Amino acid sequence: MSTLELREIHKSYGSFATLKGINLDLESGEFLVLLGASGCGKSTLLSLISGLSDPTSGEMTLNGKTLNGVHPKDRDIAMVFQSYALYPNLSVARNIGFGLEMRGVDRSSREAAVLEAAKVLQVDHLLDRKPADLSGGQRQRVAIGRALVRKPQLFLFDEPLSNLDAKLRMEMRSELKRLHQMLGVTVVYVTHDQIEAMTLASRIAVMREGCIEQLGTPAEIYNRPASRFVAEFMGSPPINILDTHQLPDGLEIAQGASFLSGLSASQPVVLGVRPEALKPTPFEGALQWQGVVDLIELTGPEQIVSVMLNDTRVTATLPADLALTIGQEITLFVDPNRLLFFDAQDGQRIDLCARQTAVA
Amino acid sequence: MFSERISPRALLLMLPLVLVMIAVVGWPLIDTVRLSLTDARLAGTSGAFIGTDNFTKMLSGRNFQSAFWTTMQFTVWSVSIELVLGVLVALLLNQRFFGRTALRALLILPWALPTVVNATLWRLIYNPEYGALNAMLTQIGLLDAYRSWLGQPGSAMTALIVADVWKNFPLVALIALAALQAVPKDIRAAAISDGANAWKRFRFVIMPYLIGPLMVALVLRTIEAFKVFDLIWIMTRGGPANSTRSLSILVYQEGFAFQRVGSGASLALIITLIITVLAVAYLMIMRRFAGEAR
Repeated sequence: MSTLELREIHKSYGSFATLKGINLDLESGEFLVLLGASGCGKSTLLSLISGLSDPTSGEMTLNGKTLNGVHPKDRDIAMVFQSYALYPNLSVARNIGFGLEMRGVDRSSREAAVLEAAKVLQVDHLLDRKPADLSGGQRQRVAIGRALVRKPQLFLFDEPLSNLDAKLRMEMRSELKRLHQMLGVTVVYVTHDQIEAMTLASRIAVMREGCIEQLGTPAEIYNRPASRFVAEFMGSPPINILDTHQLPDGLEIAQGASFLSGLSASQPVVLGVRPEALKPTPFEGALQWQGVVDLIELTGPEQIVSVMLNDTRVTATLPADLALTIGQEITLFVDPNRLLFFDAQDGQRIDLCARQTAVA
Repeated sequence: MFSERISPRALLLMLPLVLVMIAVVGWPLIDTVRLSLTDARLAGTSGAFIGTDNFTKMLSGRNFQSAFWTTMQFTVWSVSIELVLGVLVALLLNQRFFGRTALRALLILPWALPTVVNATLWRLIYNPEYGALNAMLTQIGLLDAYRSWLGQPGSAMTALIVADVWKNFPLVALIALAALQAVPKDIRAAAISDGANAWKRFRFVIMPYLIGPLMVALVLRTIEAFKVFDLIWIMTRGGPANSTRSLSILVYQEGFAFQRVGSGASLALIITLIITVLAVAYLMIMRRFAGEAR
């Protein structure tokens, strides 16, 4: 059963188009992450779904019922804000129960619902406090509780972890994931953090300039990015992008650092390869890239190594226990199946068949 | 107040200021206290010590009591109307609409006028022979004959309050508008999504942000209104039949018109005391407000 459907959603402010035709289908129980840089329209899309603003054109339905023109309070959608948006003068209990209070739910069932939500979020010991007396993580739990208690059909999260410090952010991330698994609720979650997107999402919609660039599972988005933009947006350290040069009998990579014989592209292409696809040890069918170690950054479990292939710099994520020194010659081994090709002009991914391999 | 000891050198450097303060604040205050205990007159005798006679006479006299109630009436009415009107206008000016910035700028104009100008302006509007108010009301048929708004005890006070409200509600509106802009957008959005209607959003979400600044405006305006002199002096001189005689006007009359400097001084001290109480309330509210902000 499809829960949320968006059809050709457009939103313009004056002559400026923020959203340029968004189409989305969300299954019940899905965790959809809208991912993109600031200004890509992801928060605008969220506020359209919540009803805080109206689309210029396009249709939105939730469980078959139209959302267009429906007042936010009648949408059965709850939103969690980046700034928590707790009411500073009300206690935690009243903050959580405010939506029920405004909907005229009687006191005793309200209290029961608040307590239940507070227990799930482990804030039941804080119910009498004011938001100012809570830590950032506790405030975020209360904000989630406020959404949870209404048992809405759809949850919207607007960068809920951005205001937390790194450690807390990771904790809350796991907790959100656990909560989602436990309750099976349907979520649309906005973030600019690709790790949040990868870890939380059942599907990711990568947005760019008011359009959805790619919609897919985290693995699809990461391994089969639809475009160079998506490829570069996902992954840390970022994907290596190398120039290619078409020769009569194959594709030359990085000014001759490597050569893929028998490959031909009808248009100029660039090559993308993830840092972790570059291995220090040989394996069958691997391409061999020779270079010189230029920079080593140890992160703990691994080291991020810059290698110069002729004049082209590539980044490889290598095991931390590999002994390397700067200036040392190194051979990197690459699975040709993990090479991605993008149109040099429009950035779309192109499937080039790399049957034969050769070494420069 | 200071946790560190002040060095003699610092004291020496502060001495000129201390001397000036003693000369312009300390001495007049002490002299007013001295005067208030005498029967001194403006011209002639420097006065003999008569103890607290001035105070008892003043506090029990009809003039003081009527002036006190007149002042209270003026203060309570103008300040409450200014607060309500100020908040309503601020809510309006906080909406998005064309020309909002221009209106916000215009709003400050009445408040920027000197009181003397404002008073003269309204005296012209109320003028019984050629005033705009009379003209307007007769022309739209609400009034069949021109009235002397400031010349009748029944309407003079109302006319004064209107003039004061017109000049001073922009200050409240400005303070309220600043406070409204401090309400986070997300909290408003959360309240809408939580299903709170306009009144409940105001009551539960906006009011908590408004209350502190409004208290400050309330106390400031109360002190100002309680001291009112120039507006009334220019528009009615306390008349007709003393119906608009405020405490400050009474002090002026006692001290300068009736030349009873001694009892004028005692009256001035009584007003000072009342205003000091208000000022202390103001400081306490400020402190609480600053404490909350931290």
